[in-house]
Amino acid sequence: MSISVMLSKLGEGMITSVLIFTLTLLFSLPLGLIVALARMSKNIILRNFTRIYISIMRGTPLMLQLLVVYFGPYYLFGISISSGYRFWAVILAFSINYAAYFAEIYRGGIESMPLGQYEAARVLGYSESQTFMKIILPQVIKRIIPAITNEVITLIKDTSLAFSIAVTEMFTVAKAIASSEKTMVSYVAAGIFYYVFNFVVAVVMESIEKKLDYYR
Amino acid sequence: MKKNSFVLITLLLTAVVLSSFTSVFADGKTTLVVGFDQDFPPYGFVGEDGEFTGYDLEMAAAAAEIMGLEVVYQPIAWDSKDMELDSGTIDCIWNGFTINGREDKYEWTEAYKDAGQVILVKADSDIETLEDLAGKVVAVQTDSSALEALESEDYKDLVAEFKDLLVVAQYNTAFMDLEAGAVDAIAMDLDVANFQIQDKEDQYRILDEMLQAEQYGVGFKLGNTELRDKVQSALEELVKSGKFAEISEKWFEYDSCVMSICKDEA
Repeated sequence: MSISVMLSKLGEGMITSVLIFTLTLLFSLPLGLIVALARMSKNIILRNFTRIYISIMRGTPLMLQLLVVYFGPYYLFGISISSGYRFWAVILAFSINYAAYFAEIYRGGIESMPLGQYEAARVLGYSESQTFMKIILPQVIKRIIPAITNEVITLIKDTSLAFSIAVTEMFTVAKAIASSEKTMVSYVAAGIFYYVFNFVVAVVMESIEKKLDYYR
Repeated sequence: MKKNSFVLITLLLTAVVLSSFTSVFADGKTTLVVGFDQDFPPYGFVGEDGEFTGYDLEMAAAAAEIMGLEVVYQPIAWDSKDMELDSGTIDCIWNGFTINGREDKYEWTEAYKDAGQVILVKADSDIETLEDLAGKVVAVQTDSSALEALESEDYKDLVAEFKDLLVVAQYNTAFMDLEAGAVDAIAMDLDVANFQIQDKEDQYRILDEMLQAEQYGVGFKLGNTELRDKVQSALEELVKSGKFAEISEKWFEYDSCVMSICKDEA
C-alpha cells in the first residue's frame, strides 16, 4: 500500500473522529450545564436523580455505555436497529457521558462564586435569571476553561472507543492497515494525526482563555 | 459571524441526519450485509488500494451477485459479533468463521474450507512439538478458535504447563510481542499464520503438530434458514461456474472447496 493511500484512508477515519468530537461537544457542553443546574436544584428528586446519573456515567466504562446505547434497544425492548444507528449511538453515548463530567466542572465553577455577588445583584435589581446569565455564568466560563480543556483533549483520544460498536474511526483504520500491511507506519501516522489534532485544540483553547482574561 | 457559524452547524447536522436515513437495514432483501473482522487477512482485510478485500469478501461479493443482492461489507468488533447478528445489523458472519464447537449457535452453510489451529514460533526457536511449549509464554487472540481449542479439555494439561497464556486483542500485537521476545509462541489459525509469514519464512515457522483441525462456514442467525439456503445455493453455483476455484486459487494457490458438491466432482 502506498503512503498516499494509507494517509487518505487515515484521513477518512480522521473525519469520523473529528465528527464524533465536534458533535459530542456540541451536545454535551449545553447538556452538562443543564445537568449541573439540576444537580444544584432545590427539588430533592431532581437533585438525587442527577446525582445517580452522574455517578453511573462516571462509574462505568464508556465502552460498556456504548454497547448499552447501541444494542440496548434490541436486547431490552426488542426494537430492531439499523446499521445507520451506529454513528448516532456513538454520539448519544459520548454526549451523555461527557455531559456528566462537564456538569461537575460547571458545578465547581458556579459554587466557587462568592455569595456577595448574588446579594449585590439583588440590590441592583437583577432578577435571578439575569444574575445567572449576565454575572455568574461569564465568570464561571472563564474559571473552568482549563478543566474543560482537559476533558476536551481526553475526548479526542476517547473517540477510538467508537469501534466497540463498529464505527471505523481513525485508530481502527490504523489497526486494520497495520495488520494487512504488516507495518507499524500506520500507527506512527495515527499518532501524529492525534497529536496535531490535540495540539490545535490546545492552542484554540488557550487563545479562548487569553481572550476571556480581560481583567488581567 | 455568530449567525454564520450557527447556520453552518445546522447545515452540517442536517446533512449527517439525512445521510443516516439512507443507510441500509440488514434485512437480506436488497442487500447482503457481511459482518467481518477487518484485521483478519487473508479472509477480510484492507487491501493495497485501501478498500476491503480478501478471500471471503470476494466470495461473498460473487455470491451476492448471483443472488441479485448488493453486498455491503461491515467491519465489526469481533467480541460483539453475536450482538450484531442477533440485533439484525448484519446478515451473516463470513470471515474464516469456524463451525466446530459452534454447530448449534448459528445457521450454517455447508463447510466450504478446511482450516486448523497451529502454533507459530520464531525460526530459531527450540520449540518443535506441543510438549516443548511447557514453561513458555503463548499468545492467542481473544475470542478466537485457537483460544477455544486451548481452553478445551484436550489441552487442559498442556496449558497448565505454560508459563503464561497471554490473551491479546489482535494477532498483530502478538507478532510484535513475538518479534520483541516477550512471547515464545502464538496459537493461531493456519491460513492467517501462512499469510503472516509470507516473505518472512526465515524468521518464523509453523509447528507440524496441529492444535485442532476445523472447518469454515458462513454463519447466520438461528432461524434464518431462508437466507442461509439462498447463500448455500449461490455457493454451489459458484463452484459449478468455476468461480469458486478461481477465487480460492487466487488467495491460497489451490482449490480450497470441501463442500459435498466439490467432492462429487472430484
